Amino acid sequence: MSGHDFLSGYSAKILEYALAVGYLALFVGFWQYVQGGGKRSRPQPRAERAPAAGWFGLPADVALHPGHTWARMLGDGTVAVGLDDLGHRLVGPVDRVVLPRPGEAVEQGAAAVRLDAAGKSVKLVSPVDGEVVAYNAALPSQGAPVEPYGDGWLFKVRPSNWRRSRAQLIEGQAARDWVEEQARLLEARLARQPAGALLQDGGAPIHGIAREIDPEHWDDLARQFFRTEEA
Amino acid sequence: MASYATTAPAEQGSWVQEKIFLGMSLREYLKSLWTPFNIVAAAILVLGLPLFVYRFYAGLGATTNLSQTQPWGLWIGFDMMTGIALAAGGFTIGAAVEIFGLEDYHAIERPAILTGFLGYVVAIVGLIADLGKPWNMVGIFSQNGTQSVLFEVAWCVCCYTSVLALEFAVPFFEWLGWERFYRPLKKILLALTVLSVMFSTMHQSALGSLFIIAPGKLHPLWYSQSMFLFFFVSAVIAGISMVIVESAISHKVFASQFRGHHVDADKLTIGLGKAGAVVMFAYFFLKLQGAIDNHAVEYIGQGFYGKWWLVEMLGFVLLPSVLYAWGARNGRATVVRVGGVIAVTGIILNRVNISIVAYNWDQPNHYVPSWIEIWVSLTLVTAGVLAFRWIVNRMPVLHELDESPHGTH
Repeated sequence: MSGHDFLSGYSAKILEYALAVGYLALFVGFWQYVQGGGKRSRPQPRAERAPAAGWFGLPADVALHPGHTWARMLGDGTVAVGLDDLGHRLVGPVDRVVLPRPGEAVEQGAAAVRLDAAGKSVKLVSPVDGEVVAYNAALPSQGAPVEPYGDGWLFKVRPSNWRRSRAQLIEGQAARDWVEEQARLLEARLARQPAGALLQDGGAPIHGIAREIDPEHWDDLARQFFRTEEA
Repeated sequence: MASYATTAPAEQGSWVQEKIFLGMSLREYLKSLWTPFNIVAAAILVLGLPLFVYRFYAGLGATTNLSQTQPWGLWIGFDMMTGIALAAGGFTIGAAVEIFGLEDYHAIERPAILTGFLGYVVAIVGLIADLGKPWNMVGIFSQNGTQSVLFEVAWCVCCYTSVLALEFAVPFFEWLGWERFYRPLKKILLALTVLSVMFSTMHQSALGSLFIIAPGKLHPLWYSQSMFLFFFVSAVIAGISMVIVESAISHKVFASQFRGHHVDADKLTIGLGKAGAVVMFAYFFLKLQGAIDNHAVEYIGQGFYGKWWLVEMLGFVLLPSVLYAWGARNGRATVVRVGGVIAVTGIILNRVNISIVAYNWDQPNHYVPSWIEIWVSLTLVTAGVLAFRWIVNRMPVLHELDESPHGTH
């Protein structure tokens, strides 16, 4: 405080204390406002996603790649790779699966598998880096029900660095949130399609959504969901 | 089952071709440089670099509008003060990831460190231009000047730039494939982060202390005995805001760098927006408290400086804070990014206000930078942006490299 305004110190102090109290009071409200958004917005999508959550199950021990492929570390140090539930429902019964051969190297985020279904074709990316050690020669035949995270596995990889590959994958609650977000995206996307009536009744999506969509939109959908433009 | 042939690996070129020319031949590479952005950048550098040299040939008097009353101009006010503040993302994000364990932000740690490193290098080059006899800088290593704020500033710049260089050395050595060098550095990253937080805290606040020792020269609304605290808090805001803006630009400009790497930029932006909103809200009240404590309340809204202070406080502190808060609450990353741009502008405004606009405010002849000062500053910023782009296009900054030393780029 400088000398000439020595006496004004009292009023300044009152202002300072008033500001400090005012700040604390406002800060509580501001903090709740900033943080509250998350809490308030969470239940909302939950209510919305209730049907979506049922559509696409996800076991706890798989890690997802944003290209809708999954990876599961097995006891023997190899990693099983497959297409997730949403991917299966999108493609539906597959006419032909083109898998990498044992010995081939696969790269995380790069194309590794091709699925042909109903005259359309889609590539899938590998969720891990490594060398292919086996492929699923016993994939269920066309039209038979497939368990996406079970007998529907596609190939097995000996990962070059599982820790590093895994760091790029989504797991646990984040994975479940992501699946639900993707389900909502798909729902919104389908609503814009001529075949949008599919889901408007709230029922589970049919197996083979791709077949219901004309080729132009299918390409869009594949690009968005399987990230094939990046592969 | 037939085998599906994956894309055949591209033919390997020479080291220079692969590492420097991005796999192109020299002719292709030079051709690829012919873009509007590069032409403008080249035009700035073609004039700016000779001007930088000319400043050392002709001296400060011939090239700047600095005087005995105004010894600090644009090179200190903008390049040094602003460059250092905007470089604060390095320690802010580093601390969030390495110390507080917020692993989600790991994806933006390296770009933040690179921005910090380049910000400091640009600031140091600006400082070299500003010092009458820059070679005397070495004196700080041999003299005991512990009573001097500048002594603290100088040591902090040296130490923190060294720490940033070591942190940046990790992607640099990864790029070169020198595993022997980057592995040990990765292991001591936590220690480096602790050092970076310590030196940054000291340095950012010491820059504020530089103005505490100049009472009477700075307008009372900006002056405060707590300026060291204001500088530190606003540096945290600058760091957060700069990372928001930079990651938005990076995701557009360097989209291919994110190939195969899942980074939810919107989620990170919203998280940063939450932090930024709270810190800025507190900073707004701290500044008000500073004005009251300095008995400067009657200046608010009075005359040019009173109005200008209000513009800074309401338009560039409170407004971005509200935008951050609203954007974060409603999950609108774009609003947070707009807030980020305003906040970064606000930090530049604050540092320029303190060191130029409101400095020597009661002097009859106010300092206005010469065109050479402006052009050299522009050159330094351009060089910093070009260096950032050059590095990001080659080194594993926006994504971590494969364990293999011969990763692609």
